Amino acid sequence: MHRTTHLVVATVLAASLVATACGGGGSSATSTTVAPDPAAGGSTLRVPDDHPTIQAAVDAAEPGDLVLVAPGTYHEAVDVETENLTIRGLDRNTVVLDGQFKLENGIRVLADGVAIENMTAENYTTNGFFWTGITGYRGSYLTAFRNGDYGVYAFDATHGQLEHIYAAGSPDAGLYIGQCYPCDAVIDDVLSEYNGLGYSGTNSGGNLTIVNSTFRFNRAGIVPNSGSYELCYPGRDNTIVGNIVHDNMQPDTPAIDDALLAMGNGIIVAGSNRNVIERNLVYDHAVTGIALVPYPEEEANDGAPDISTWDTPCADVRDDPPAVTDPAQLGLVLWDPQENRVVGNAVSGSGLADLAFGSLQPDLASLGNCFADNTFETASPVALEQLTPCDGAQPTSTDWATGALDLPALVVAQHPPSVDYQTAPTPEPPDQPTMPDADTAPARPATDVPVEIDVAAIALPKRPSDG
Amino acid sequence: MTPPAALWRAVAVGCLLLGVLVAMAGGVVALFDDDTATAALPQLGPQGRSPQFKVECAWSHAAADDPIVAPGRPGRSHLHDFFGNTTTSADSTVATLHGGGTTCQNQLDTAAYWVPALLRRGAPVRPIGSAAYYRPGPGIDAASVRPYPAGLMMIGGDHHATVQPLEVAAWHCGASPVLHANPPACPRTAPLGVRVAFPDCWDGRHLDSDDHRSHMARSRDGRCPSDHPVPVPQLIFEVHYPVSGDPAGLELASGGVRGVHADFLNAWDEDALAREVRACLNGGHVCGVVSNRATG
Repeated sequence: MHRTTHLVVATVLAASLVATACGGGGSSATSTTVAPDPAAGGSTLRVPDDHPTIQAAVDAAEPGDLVLVAPGTYHEAVDVETENLTIRGLDRNTVVLDGQFKLENGIRVLADGVAIENMTAENYTTNGFFWTGITGYRGSYLTAFRNGDYGVYAFDATHGQLEHIYAAGSPDAGLYIGQCYPCDAVIDDVLSEYNGLGYSGTNSGGNLTIVNSTFRFNRAGIVPNSGSYELCYPGRDNTIVGNIVHDNMQPDTPAIDDALLAMGNGIIVAGSNRNVIERNLVYDHAVTGIALVPYPEEEANDGAPDISTWDTPCADVRDDPPAVTDPAQLGLVLWDPQENRVVGNAVSGSGLADLAFGSLQPDLASLGNCFADNTFETASPVALEQLTPCDGAQPTSTDWATGALDLPALVVAQHPPSVDYQTAPTPEPPDQPTMPDADTAPARPATDVPVEIDVAAIALPKRPSDG
Repeated sequence: MTPPAALWRAVAVGCLLLGVLVAMAGGVVALFDDDTATAALPQLGPQGRSPQFKVECAWSHAAADDPIVAPGRPGRSHLHDFFGNTTTSADSTVATLHGGGTTCQNQLDTAAYWVPALLRRGAPVRPIGSAAYYRPGPGIDAASVRPYPAGLMMIGGDHHATVQPLEVAAWHCGASPVLHANPPACPRTAPLGVRVAFPDCWDGRHLDSDDHRSHMARSRDGRCPSDHPVPVPQLIFEVHYPVSGDPAGLELASGGVRGVHADFLNAWDEDALAREVRACLNGGHVCGVVSNRATG
């Protein structure tokens, strides 16, 4: 029913929308890395030998120390308030933090430079692993299973690395990085499945790179998005390259409303901007493979800032009052996708269109998105690649009408309802690769992240034998 | 299927055109016909500007009980909706509450929260749920905030008021920063809520007072008054209702729609509350945001 409201209101407002001029190129934020910290390499605190709980060890640790956790089930919600710790399990699959659907977060990090390695967090009411308001974070060889909001969650955090992660069974996103610009973060070699969303990031980007990962069996796969309900809008400058995204139309996962709205789409850019989406393998989706669409935000706090503000860091605007305070201009705000670049992807098996771009804007070309050199069978509009070539090439079609994306129909489409995360039929996670030399590797606080990724060297992935 | 949507918008715009702009409290607050405000105050608008921790609690039960105003006298109050502690009754004390369960996502929050029931043409409307935001008061030094003492009782908003500051007690739609003295017509995707901001300064001595108010005060200009010198978290409590569209026929069980208020009896797990205040507020972190994107 509420989707009908979107439709009606959106249609009413569409006529009054003023097209945003979209000049400029797709420059992205420069890369910066936190300098290595000489404090690294302190003591090792063992759980349960030296301290009975992870929390006790963390509270006793000094910056640079290693907290080493033996196999076992820990009914703890750990808070980390000491910087530059490394918290490591000896075995990813048998060091299990279990919230028993009572505790909020497996590990909540409120200090800079904390790395978490080689363990599982499951059955937490909010998040498995959570960093907030910090600089420097790393999660490696983590399994997050059946948590009530997110599997792995970085909010208002910069300089991060999330790698070798398995995330399943959350109603929001398996992995999420939000409210940061530039984020200076890497997501590398993760598998996210059976979530509402495989990856979501609201108002995030700027040297944020998602590579070499698989997003499958979620309601929707990769969903960068924008909204004024959190700070530092809009989302922009994410690099999404070399991922395998398939079968994101799973009907029996837990799901927030937005996951229902996004259901059946592989990579769906919901009002995020200036993203680079290249050389991803995307297949078998009920709706679209790769789509650029507006995000409709009801009762918004602010309007969409002009493109001229996009290079301004989050830190410089977070305390600014909303630019739009006239309630008559708020209500429903449509966050249009602008300046996105979709190149060289291989997309197939989509129910509606392999590639799609739609908006309620009368002049879609003005949004500056481009599609080129993709392998695909269907597109919406049909002439999408001819209408929106990249790198300054002239369009060779003017036919925006044939096969245009019917956004109202997508908004009102009905999907299977959310299933409670506690009882959803999320498969038990299979054993995941464990960290090499977990018992002997030295502490490695998150002071050297993100690790530079050679994006240009990443090739289009091959289709896996099991997928 | 939902033709009122366009109508709501038209009504809202028409109403708002009557507005005048007033600068106040260091931010720009637009007051509209003494009925509606949108604010650039840090306490409103997008979450994340100020440190916070949050607790989301399901509706627990309804009863004509009030352990602050009518202790030991069950059935003597107007109908209340209770959140958090599942045992809250007219006979509740901090000791009894500490043994109770909770509807909160954070199981260590066994505090009692309650608001007058919302009635629609006399019938109670069962809330969708509630959200409690704990933040430093406006302009208060986050490092100076102390936890509530166990058993602290507070009331926010005024049952008897006909006009209240909207930043203290108001109606709103979804996560919108636009506050209203009367229930607005809300879209289905951002349904009706009430929002009450409790006082943020404590006298340091009393858990309650004869009028249930004078042991607490509100900070001004980022400072607590000398007779209420202890900054405590500002609790902002919101209740969300499955109500959209025409607000006709809505009334609080306490009478009218202007007397929005809420009550709080602190029975948090003491260590857990102390940790949240220290780690999140003193430490300056956003320890969670209430998702405005409901689970469908």
